[in-house]
Amino acid sequence: MVVEGPPGRLARLTLRAIGIGFLATLAGTVLALLTSQLQGAGVAIFILSVTIAAVSGGLWAGVVAALLASIALPIVESPQRVFGFDQLRDLIAAVVFLAIAVVVGLVVGNAADERDRASRREREARLLAFLSAKLLSGDVPDRVLDEFVQVLLEPLGLASCQVSVTLDGQEIEAKAVRPGVPRGGPTEVIPVVVSNIPLGTLIAERPEGRRPFTRDERLLLEAATRQAAVALDRARLDARARLAQLDAETNQLRAAMFSSVTHDLRTPLASIKAGVTSLLDASAIHDAVQQRELLTTILEETDRLNRLVGNILDLAKIRAGALIPKRVPTAVDEVAEAVVARMRPLLADFAVELQLAPDLPEVPADPVQLDQVLTNLLENAARHSPSGGTIRIHVGETRDAVRVRVSDEGPGIKPEEREKVFEAFYRGRESPESAGSGLGLAIARAIVTAHGGRIRIEETTGGGTAMVVDIPLEETVL
Amino acid sequence: MKVLVVDDEPQIRRALRTSLEAHGYEVATVGTGEEGVVASADQQPDLVLLDLGLPDMDGTEVIRRVRGFSDVPVIILSVREAQSDKVAALDAGADDYVTKPFAMEELLARARAALRRAGPDEPLQPTLRYGGLEIDLARRLVTLDGEQLHVTPTEYSLLEALVSNPGKLLTHQWLLRRVWGQGYGTETTYLRTYIRALRKKLGDDASSPALIVTEPGVGYRWVGESA
Repeated sequence: MVVEGPPGRLARLTLRAIGIGFLATLAGTVLALLTSQLQGAGVAIFILSVTIAAVSGGLWAGVVAALLASIALPIVESPQRVFGFDQLRDLIAAVVFLAIAVVVGLVVGNAADERDRASRREREARLLAFLSAKLLSGDVPDRVLDEFVQVLLEPLGLASCQVSVTLDGQEIEAKAVRPGVPRGGPTEVIPVVVSNIPLGTLIAERPEGRRPFTRDERLLLEAATRQAAVALDRARLDARARLAQLDAETNQLRAAMFSSVTHDLRTPLASIKAGVTSLLDASAIHDAVQQRELLTTILEETDRLNRLVGNILDLAKIRAGALIPKRVPTAVDEVAEAVVARMRPLLADFAVELQLAPDLPEVPADPVQLDQVLTNLLENAARHSPSGGTIRIHVGETRDAVRVRVSDEGPGIKPEEREKVFEAFYRGRESPESAGSGLGLAIARAIVTAHGGRIRIEETTGGGTAMVVDIPLEETVL
Repeated sequence: MKVLVVDDEPQIRRALRTSLEAHGYEVATVGTGEEGVVASADQQPDLVLLDLGLPDMDGTEVIRRVRGFSDVPVIILSVREAQSDKVAALDAGADDYVTKPFAMEELLARARAALRRAGPDEPLQPTLRYGGLEIDLARRLVTLDGEQLHVTPTEYSLLEALVSNPGKLLTHQWLLRRVWGQGYGTETTYLRTYIRALRKKLGDDASSPALIVTEPGVGYRWVGESA
């Protein structure tokens, strides 16, 4: 915005107008002298010079050129090259010329000024639009402010710009300084206010010895500051809403977790304790078959407890943000084989089909975590499959990922439940109480997500469930 | 046979002592890494069962110190199941790794395998038999159900490395160095390719293995039952 400010403004503008007017007239005079044998060319040439002066120098340059031209024209026109009017006719001609020249200067100059103002307004509008887009981008407030002050430096010719605000008791400050510019020039302090609540101030400072801010510039600064205030207020409200939502979710999760964990931990413990105390009871006489039955129960319940504790620990890790994959080149097909091999006893009631595409590439993944994902998916498939049903595991490749598909012949999952099953402690409505902890799929999703991959549910032709996991071939930055 | 148990949990020490003694082992128990190192030197156990999370020093450090003076088989018993913990312990010189909680019968099987490997060198069987599979170590011949198999020299070296350490969990790094040479250690893709080829030739199914078990991210274990 190159509007120069008073008082230097007027002086400089006048000087510039006079300069341009003078130069235009001078050029006109020279041209007119060169073409003086052509009768009447002088008038046209001087009108042209006035027009040029007005276009390039604005209204006042046009007027100056018109005045000067009305002096130069008679000189050029007179054979003796002196100023004077031989006849009344000449005087009238000169006055008419002056009038025409001034009108031309005024019209053209006004248009030029208008054009300047329009382009300045356009620049301002563009700056404000840019700022508002930045400010409303929903980015972190301090980052937005950093950019905000930076953006204002150049167009306003600032040496430094600083915003300090207090949002919900938190002080945020952003400052931008143009390097290598002496500070300490004219300074403008603008309050940052939103709905009559003062949030802080914006301080804009010119380089040392520069002119003060014009009214236009002050208005622009104020407009920009208002936008910043609105954006900050929005960010504040967003943050509050998010916190409130998070709070509600956390409370809900905590409640679900407590009831679930209490039930799931106590139930196997109860069986174990009952079994052991029964075996220790000297007054009870168990035959070998009964003993074995009790001990088998204890063993099964111990395994269940162990799986549950493992899941709860994993969930705690996820919640604490400590689930960081230790990536090594991992062959997903090999992990799938190992998981199936280990889970054979659990899958004894089902037909297991493992299909591996040949020559699968390795992926950067944590083999133990991947093992966990596949284990959870298989456990889930086994839980929901009818006895004797087929569980299919297919490992293949897509354009940018290795894809594992675990499908069962269970009752399937309704479309509206397909996202919910990945939430911690969610159990399908029709699932029996004895089903899993409701953690397996949540953990699987957390692990897959931590690998930059995706997990989702698809339908199978038989109406069962297919869990589809994509582990990307390239390590992606989260 | 004397077994040294190094674990800071008295309940685990008691459970292990009872079970091991019931199987005829002589058992000594200590609760710290320092005591574990000293007892390994003084009592010369035939097998060490070592917890990784000891109060005074990490189990991996105990292995390193014990390896300074003894080749006694060491089996890790730990609640840690991260691949990196297993690899670190195995590379430090542990023979095997069992995750807590474990089934006693599994621990006993691993212990027997470790003791057998460390036992006095039996006159080396010139031919190993696993069901229909025969490996003639002298002639470097492999036959399956009477039919000779074509195995490449690298495949044979890999097979030999596996069968000469029955039951032991061999890390990727160990196998690569043993078969390909000292300069190798991270080229797990080679290893996988050869293991896959070997499994195919031997007719072993990785998803229900009778010969080679995969420990994802850690290594392989030969589980063939000699017959």
